[in-house]
Amino acid sequence: MAHTLPSGDQASDQDKWDSGGLECNQQLLIEIVMRNRLIALVVDGDTTCWVLEQELLHSYGVQTLDVDNSRDAVDLIASNAEFNLIIIEKIIPVLNGLEVTRQIREIGVRCKMLEVTACSGESERQAFLATGVDVFIEKPLDPEHLVPILRELDRQ
Amino acid sequence: MLGLDADRLRADLNRLLAFLFHQGILDEQYLQLQQLQDESSPNFVSEVVNIYFHESEKLLRNLRSLLMDREFSDYDKMGIHLNQFIGSSSSIGAKRVRNVCVAFRAASDQSNRAGCLRALELLEHEYCILKNKLHELFQIEQQRLLAAGVRYPMLN
Repeated sequence: MAHTLPSGDQASDQDKWDSGGLECNQQLLIEIVMRNRLIALVVDGDTTCWVLEQELLHSYGVQTLDVDNSRDAVDLIASNAEFNLIIIEKIIPVLNGLEVTRQIREIGVRCKMLEVTACSGESERQAFLATGVDVFIEKPLDPEHLVPILRELDRQ
Repeated sequence: MLGLDADRLRADLNRLLAFLFHQGILDEQYLQLQQLQDESSPNFVSEVVNIYFHESEKLLRNLRSLLMDREFSDYDKMGIHLNQFIGSSSSIGAKRVRNVCVAFRAASDQSNRAGCLRALELLEHEYCILKNKLHELFQIEQQRLLAAGVRYPMLN
């Protein structure tokens, strides 16, 4: 898919969004993402899932960096790599998602964090939200959850 | 005539997809995969499904190996495998396989070995159905593209 650099301002983006259809909105969102040069860290030990998460993010113009374990994720962030969005699976090798989320927040990272997992109960959801995760969803990662996050990152 | 063959095969493809959705073997997440396929990644669906097959067969071997061990008691490890299987199945739209994994995980959470064994038998059965049907789908798609005069790489 060919991407073009945007020329409009954010106020006119809102008008275009409200009046546009699905394909138009996706192109507009890609323009927003490209303008902001968003980059996401994907931390998921399952190959099928991270391939899909990566491709979904790429389809909206988000660059990605992928790691398959929590140790590499923490090391990357501790080395001052910056991300607009971090997507973490609950169960990953080395440290679990809850612990790695806590460590990332303790380092001082304040970017959007999205927890994705296969199945969970309400108590787990609350535990993750308490460690500083912004959004907690069940897999699969889908446009319904991703698009509002990308738009919010644009507003920031 | 090439055009008519391609049309007939397209009809076969749509019929098979409708069947898979009607039977609950696939859900709308599979359509999300198709939407991610474009000119820049023309084989995306078959590639990610092949990754899913490869990973799933490893998980099935691991689950069977755990349960066949007379001394088995590590239900946490089983839960980790099942969590991964649930996540990857959800991500490609493998609805029935996912649902069996959820029931399997419930038996595992209760340390119910007999229930786990029954669930594993059912899971292997459902996985086999899914794999056969998806292979059939990809074969028809390959034939359709050949009939339409498009080169298509061989699947593993």
